[in-house]
Amino acid sequence: MPDFLQHPASFKDPSGFVFRANDKYYRQVNLSYKEDYDLLQASGLYKSLTDKKILLAHDEVDENFTGSNEWYKTLLPEQLPFISYPYEWSFDELKDAALLTLRTMKIAVKQGMVLKDATSFNIQFYQGKPVFIDTLSFEKYDESKPWIAYRQFCECFLFPLLIEHYRQIDVQKLLCVYLEGIPAQTTAKLLPRKTKFKLNIWLHVFLQSSVTENSKSSKSKRAIHFSKEKLLRLLDSLESTIKPLRIKTSVLTTWNNYYDETILSKNYLAAKDKIFREFVSDINSGKVMDIGCNDGYFSKILAEKNTNVIAVDFDSQCINRLYVEAKSKNERNILTFCIDLTNPSPAVGFNHSERQSFADRAKSDMVTALALIHHLVLSKNVPLPDVARMMADLTKKYLVIEFVPLNDEKSQQLIANKTNYHKPYDPYAFEKHFGVYFDIEKQQVIPGTDRILYRLKKK
Amino acid sequence: MRTFLLYIDPGSGSYLVQMIIAGVLAGLFYFKNLWWKVKAFFSKTKKSDSQDNDNLDA
Repeated sequence: MPDFLQHPASFKDPSGFVFRANDKYYRQVNLSYKEDYDLLQASGLYKSLTDKKILLAHDEVDENFTGSNEWYKTLLPEQLPFISYPYEWSFDELKDAALLTLRTMKIAVKQGMVLKDATSFNIQFYQGKPVFIDTLSFEKYDESKPWIAYRQFCECFLFPLLIEHYRQIDVQKLLCVYLEGIPAQTTAKLLPRKTKFKLNIWLHVFLQSSVTENSKSSKSKRAIHFSKEKLLRLLDSLESTIKPLRIKTSVLTTWNNYYDETILSKNYLAAKDKIFREFVSDINSGKVMDIGCNDGYFSKILAEKNTNVIAVDFDSQCINRLYVEAKSKNERNILTFCIDLTNPSPAVGFNHSERQSFADRAKSDMVTALALIHHLVLSKNVPLPDVARMMADLTKKYLVIEFVPLNDEKSQQLIANKTNYHKPYDPYAFEKHFGVYFDIEKQQVIPGTDRILYRLKKK
Repeated sequence: MRTFLLYIDPGSGSYLVQMIIAGVLAGLFYFKNLWWKVKAFFSKTKKSDSQDNDNLDA
């Protein structure tokens, strides 16, 4: 029996759990879930969901890795290159995940099953699209019952989307705190008054908020009569509430028109493009992470040859634009997430291990950090040695990094009103501190500027 | 604020809401259907009116 390690996030559902063995993630199905698992297969639901690439496909492995008496089946799902969390998704990623959950539910209902839970953590992004990963979330449909996961769906998807749509709040920050979703009462307090006059929102938010509050006193179990027709109508209503929700793009964000407005613009970009391509041309394998990806110009270059590019930036609107663009072009090689490198996602949840920190998931074969370092050192006051250590922790092999010197127009903007940043900040200091962890393989000044592009290899 | 929810199963709170929502949506559906029927009825009579007129003209 090989060693195995149960995944720290996989403990809530007694139907089974995810574990790691032989450097792969497996899922154990317990005997208690036998009937539902067999129905998932026999009803053809597994096939129709995996054919449509809605559910992550798996192979059954005939081996009880864990030695458990509860064992029924071992599944080997398609392995995901990167695990992300809802608080790292942009608005449209969360919206697409919500619509995928509803679509999954509708297909399930038609084939005699329902989703017994609808947390956003059941969705991952894979090959540019959201995919449902929890094979054990399906159970037999009892037509007399409403949807057991309705409230969870609202809290994890509908409410955060409504809040961002109506209040333009970066909802990622809230979701990192409300891991199980934002409660109806909280949402009701956050939404503007005018939303009370929209029927769907009134029903799903304000009515739910008051009913949940009052249901405290009702102890009697009422007889419940629901029907498939009612359930499908409820799902349609959720879908039609979510579909028109949009992120407001009129608000100018940090990176809006970053390249368009800068006087460096076209010549600089063309020169940097050429050098960048030279630097990365012979690195084609493994996981690549573009940190501070901005509009994703260089992530897209990376994605021409690498199948596994993860583009992150702290600006959620920027990530949203990149996601929408990649989706419209059916780009399968880029995944986009909202990550602030000076405040990356922490380890949260039960025992600080249910949801891993960004650093624990981010390790990549190559990291690219273009026009980022001056933001870390000059605006966020992170000392150069700490930036070097952080980058060294992120990459296993290569780092392609652009040094933006102090006399650069953008650096000057950042220090226009401040004098207390860490000095010295120059190429010598950069090479000295990064030299602790890396060897310089290539370096080149970007013509027309004093910026330097480096390709570093880990010692 | 939410502590009471810890002692009831995840569905309980929401079952009642779903019953009400389903009721409202069913009502809405009913009236919409009715409205379509009324509309269809009148557009039909209109059509037949105009047909009658056509016949008269002829």
